[in-house]
Amino acid sequence: MKKIDFHIHTVPSISDRHFDFDLESLKEYVELLEIDCIAITNHNLFDKNQYDQITNELAAKVFPGIEIDLEGGHLLLISENENVDDFAAKAQKVSELNTSPSDDISYDELIEIYGELNNYLLIPHYDKKPNIKPTTLEKLGENIFVGEVASLRKFKSCLKELDKLTPVIFSDCRFIENMPSYPTRQTYLDVEEISLNAIKGCLYDKDKVFLSKEEGNDFFQATDDGVMLSTGLNVIVGGRSSGKTYTLDKICDNFDNVKYLRQFSLLQNDKENFKKLVTTRHSLITENYLKEFKDVVYEINDIDLKDNEISLEKYLASLKKFASESDNLDAFSKCALYNETKFIPDNLDNLKKLISATESLIETNEYKDVVNKHITDNILKNLIVELINKHNKIHERNLKKDWCNNLIESIKDSLKFRSTTTTVEEIDFDKIQFEKIKVQKFKQLVKSIQTEKVIDSKEIRGFKVLAKTKKYTGASQLKNKSKSKLSFSKAFNNYENPYKFLISLKNVGIEETEFYKYFVDIDYRTLNKHGYEVSGGERSEFNLLHEISDALKHDLLLIDEPESSFDNIFLKNEVNELIKEIAKEIPVIVVTHNSTIGASINPNQIVFTQKIVNQHNVEYKVFFGHPTSKTLKNANGEEIKNLDVLLNCLEAGEDAYNERNKKSYEILKD
Amino acid sequence: MKYLKIEDNKAFFVKDEAQPDDWTEIDKIEKEDLLKLLDYATENDFEMDIYDEAILGHKAHQIIYKSLHEKLNIFLGNKDRFKDQTENIYKEELEKYQ
Repeated sequence: MKKIDFHIHTVPSISDRHFDFDLESLKEYVELLEIDCIAITNHNLFDKNQYDQITNELAAKVFPGIEIDLEGGHLLLISENENVDDFAAKAQKVSELNTSPSDDISYDELIEIYGELNNYLLIPHYDKKPNIKPTTLEKLGENIFVGEVASLRKFKSCLKELDKLTPVIFSDCRFIENMPSYPTRQTYLDVEEISLNAIKGCLYDKDKVFLSKEEGNDFFQATDDGVMLSTGLNVIVGGRSSGKTYTLDKICDNFDNVKYLRQFSLLQNDKENFKKLVTTRHSLITENYLKEFKDVVYEINDIDLKDNEISLEKYLASLKKFASESDNLDAFSKCALYNETKFIPDNLDNLKKLISATESLIETNEYKDVVNKHITDNILKNLIVELINKHNKIHERNLKKDWCNNLIESIKDSLKFRSTTTTVEEIDFDKIQFEKIKVQKFKQLVKSIQTEKVIDSKEIRGFKVLAKTKKYTGASQLKNKSKSKLSFSKAFNNYENPYKFLISLKNVGIEETEFYKYFVDIDYRTLNKHGYEVSGGERSEFNLLHEISDALKHDLLLIDEPESSFDNIFLKNEVNELIKEIAKEIPVIVVTHNSTIGASINPNQIVFTQKIVNQHNVEYKVFFGHPTSKTLKNANGEEIKNLDVLLNCLEAGEDAYNERNKKSYEILKD
Repeated sequence: MKYLKIEDNKAFFVKDEAQPDDWTEIDKIEKEDLLKLLDYATENDFEMDIYDEAILGHKAHQIIYKSLHEKLNIFLGNKDRFKDQTENIYKEELEKYQ
């Protein structure tokens, strides 16, 4: 069995953040993690001098490699360590094509540079960003049989699914001075000899890649000091300040996309805060519900009824004045065009809708037989032709109207310029009436939106979250909504008249894009299984269940002492089952003192942390093993009795355990 | 129903459709009256006498009537389209939020 890490960075490139490579760290990493061979894979470059230096200093075998930006994704290209000069020359060509962070090379350019790709080992970013595109993978064809993944979960899912590539997991690490810990993301291969060909042969076969040296793919190394954990459920136990949380933190640092539920973090004593939290979690529901309303508010916001009234007034006043001057019209104002009204172009929207509807009828494949049962394609085609002709005719007339309007306008302007008579103001009855009706409908819409109703209901493991629409009852609620110190009291006086209310919101000082939020409140209530509002304890329980359920979006779940915030019955009935379910998908690690979780949850691996104080020296030891093993071992091979661990950590010692069993509970039994 | 008429060389309009026989001279028309006329034109069968200079002798009335008649005529000419459009205003939204 050989342990490999074929994704290591030693030179910062233009697409990287800056770092100062430290060879000592790389050496320590390879020794501590017992790695058999590595590949140096910098972004679009290969530094031969540095490669030679690393090769000389390292006990492990070092392959020359390069991480290439290829058609928007990343590809590791690794060569045998012979003829490194040729490899360096080809890498130089890649560097020349990638001179800015946004550059990448095409498949054809790759072929031009490297020729026969089967001389190399190609590892695309597979389930890891930025993935090599499926179209590029297709072009690379049989040269691709292995893919790099970003997490243990993805590794395992690739192994299970037949049509997926052989997964590998690598550190993708930049080695700098004084690293607090080293990554544990490497892959084991069932290979005898370390040559590129032997490794390639091995990678063809999914049965030859592993996450651990001896325990297959159900275990993985979680920390650089050798703690092995199950890819299922793990429990960490140990006395006070024995390094449990320290171990958990270390695991957290070592992996990406981790859900870490820290001790006490889920306690929810404050009702208002809890409400805010639930509202934020469900903000998407609110957004979706109000989406259309938001657009309407935008539209109504553009309507100025007052302005419409003023233009009517101006029109009438000018018309009357012009009429009263009718006896004294001059030569210019006597012209028919002096007060000519403009043509109004015909609106083609309806016609366009009809054309597109007929088009759908013609183009449908799915329900063709039903359509044709009632109407033939020929009739539909005649219809669409007629509609299009009509459309074009009206469109042409509109263009003519437009032309006339421009002409009328310019003649009117010239006449007005020379005349002393009043001119009649322009007015559009259509627009005025249309906007008036729009505002009426808006009022109707707001009334309907403000009617109390449940808009969403979600069951979350015995709890229910209800979203209900509600009218605001006071200006202070609007103020809270705005999270500002602005005054809403004047605006709220108009709350019952939606249009007036909208106008007054303009004077409050909030963004126009936010207006829609102030018409209706969406209230979230969390109910327990009896249908009552949740209590303080239940709020915390709900939070824990929600957070654990949410963990499946992550690659690892860490929970620190859930018992410090929750009672045993809840943990046993609700949490344990859920944790077990999650552990089928991603590794779960729970720190606990509690026997309900520690022993009865049936973990796949048990970890025991111990602090040993020798005079002035403090030493932390971490033992691990199967829960049914008689002993637990640490990375150095030291052993400790499992039963002692469990009794001491979970049952407060053997005596207390026996005492409780014999005395306390026996007495209470019938 | 008729809302605008020409009689005895003068033009008249209906101020309130609840009193259809109560005619007001056209030069007394105010903006509220005009808004009402637009509502009537939107909702009802709206009739008016054709503008005819020969029977409408009053010069000032001629000008006001001509302009109003012309504009209301355009409005009525688009009535079908207008109805279609107004009926569709926020129709989907109203259905969603009911």
